[in-house]
Amino acid sequence: MVKDWTASVNRIFRTIAGSKRVDKVPFLAFAGEQMICRVTGKTVKELYSSPKVYANAIINTFEFLNTDSINVPSAYAGPSEALAFAEANNKLEAIKWFDYQPLMCKQGEICKSEEDIEKLEIPDHSKNNLWKTSLLSAKMINEKTKFPQVISLSIWSVVQELRGIEAYKDMRRNPDLLLKLCEKIFESQMDIYENWLEIVGMPPNVFIAGYSFNRHMMSFQDSMRYEGQYIKRMMNKIRVPFMLHNCGTSPYFTEVVKEINFVAVNGSHPLDIEYWIDFKKKYPKITIIGANIDVSREMLTGNPSDVEKKVKENILKLAPEGRYICCPVCSLPWGVPIPNILAIPKAIEKYGHYPIKIN
Amino acid sequence: MNEEKLLEKLKSAILKGDPNKSIELVNESIKVGIQVKEILNKAILKGAEEAGNLYENDEYFLPDLLMTGDAINAATETLKNSLKEKSVIESKGTILIGTVEGDIHDIGKSLVISLLQGQGFEIVDLGSDVPPEEFLRKAKEINPRLIGLSGLMTMSISKMVETVNLLKNENIQSKIIVGGGILSKESCEMIGADDFAKDGWEGVKKIKNLI
Repeated sequence: MVKDWTASVNRIFRTIAGSKRVDKVPFLAFAGEQMICRVTGKTVKELYSSPKVYANAIINTFEFLNTDSINVPSAYAGPSEALAFAEANNKLEAIKWFDYQPLMCKQGEICKSEEDIEKLEIPDHSKNNLWKTSLLSAKMINEKTKFPQVISLSIWSVVQELRGIEAYKDMRRNPDLLLKLCEKIFESQMDIYENWLEIVGMPPNVFIAGYSFNRHMMSFQDSMRYEGQYIKRMMNKIRVPFMLHNCGTSPYFTEVVKEINFVAVNGSHPLDIEYWIDFKKKYPKITIIGANIDVSREMLTGNPSDVEKKVKENILKLAPEGRYICCPVCSLPWGVPIPNILAIPKAIEKYGHYPIKIN
Repeated sequence: MNEEKLLEKLKSAILKGDPNKSIELVNESIKVGIQVKEILNKAILKGAEEAGNLYENDEYFLPDLLMTGDAINAATETLKNSLKEKSVIESKGTILIGTVEGDIHDIGKSLVISLLQGQGFEIVDLGSDVPPEEFLRKAKEINPRLIGLSGLMTMSISKMVETVNLLKNENIQSKIIVGGGILSKESCEMIGADDFAKDGWEGVKKIKNLI
C-alpha cells in the first residue's frame, strides 16, 4: 500500500453527506474481478485463495487506478449470493467458474420449479468459503486503508440468478410464489448483514443493487412490490444511509426516490446529461454517482482526451453545488485502455477542485 | 359465435398471455372453417403487434410480453399441428442466436426468441456461454439469415469482437446483430456488427428490419 487513503475517505463520505468541506470531486470506479486479474496477473481462484492475497490485490488495483473508492467486488449480492444458494441447496452445477472474470450462475437453474422455491434453503454465509474470504478481505481493507467498507445488498438481482426468466412470468401467473422467493432472499440478505456486522463491523452505507427499478424489466408498481418493500424493511433494520444502483436502460430513479429515502443514486443510464441536471435540480440533496461517462463509448473506443472532455462536462454541469461523484457508468470492461481510466483522475485534478470554476 | 368475434377473442387471449385459452380458440377457429392465414394475421400477429404497442406506451412490461410470447407460440404450434402441414406459416428465415462466451445471462435473448419464433422465424438457440468457434460451426451448418450475439456484461464486448471477427474472416455472409444494455453505436462499430439493440424488445424490432 502506497496511498494515504484518508483524503479519499473524507472526499467520498463528505460528498455523500453534502458537506462543503470537500477539496475536489471524488473518483469512484467499479473494478470487478476481471480488472483486478488484469492489473495483478492473478486468476480469480488465486484471488479467492486467501483473504490476504485478495485484499492486497484489491488495494493494489484501486491504488493503480487512482480511485477514491475501494471495495471487494465479490461481497455483492449477485453471483456470490447465487453460489451461496447453490451450495446450500446442493446445486453447484448451476455455477460456472472462469479464470479471469467473476463466477456466474446459470439463471433459473437453482429455482427451476415451484417445489425448488418451496424447499429452498437459506444459506448460512458463515459457512460459505467465498463469503468468508470476501468479508475477511473487507475487514483487512478497512484496517489497512481505513476506508470503511460499504455493504451491498439486493433482492431482484438474486431473484434473477435463482429463478431466471420464469420470475417475470411468475409476476402474472403466480405472484404469491414469487413473493415467497423474495422473502427467502430477504432473509438471506439479513444473514449477510449479520455476518458483515460480526466480521467487518458496522457499514457506513448500504449500496442497494436495485435491478428491478427499470422500466424495461417491470412496472414501477411491480418493482416496489418485489424489491422496494424489502428495501424499506432493510432500512428499518439497518440504520445507515442507503444508496441505490441500477444499471438498466430506463431506470425509475425519479420515481423511486419519492418512495424510498436514498442518499445517493448510481446508474448506467440515461446517458443524456440533461436527465441528471434535471434530477439534481429536483433532488439537490441526493448525491449523483456517475452520469454519462460511458464505458462502451469514450472509455472503450475513445482516447484520454475524449474521456477528459466527458469528465469536464460532468463536473461543470453536476459538481458545482457538491454531491457529485465522478464515476464511469458501469463496471470497467476488460478491454478498456488503462490510459482512458487514468484520464479520469487527471481530469478531476484539472477541473474538479472546489470551488468549481465554471468558466 | 361468428368468425370475427372468435378471432377477436383469440387476439384477446394472445394479448392477455393465456396459452390455454389461445389453444382452445385456435382449435375452435379451425373447426368452424376459418382460414389459417386469417387466424394468423387477424388474431395471432395482430395480438403480437398490439402487445408491442402497449409496451411502447408503458402499458405493458417485460412480464406481459413474455406471457404474450408464450400464448403466440402455443397458438402457432396448435395451428401447425392441427393442419399437419408445417409450411402453412411462411418461414421468414433462420436466426442463429446465443449469449457469447463468458456470459450466461439470457433474459433478453429469451424474450427475443419468445416473440420471434411464433411469427415465422426459425430460431436456433445455442444457449449461453457460447465460444466463437461454436457460432462459426453452426453458421456454416445452417447458413442463417441473421446471427444474434447477446451479452449483458461489459466484458462481453471483447468476446463479441472476437466472435464477429471469426465469422467475417470465415466469410460468413449473415447479418449480425449484437444485444446488451451496455452497447452503444460506437461499440457496435468496434465490434463490426450490422446493428445493436439495448434490450430484447428493441432486438425484436431491429431483427425484423434487418431481415
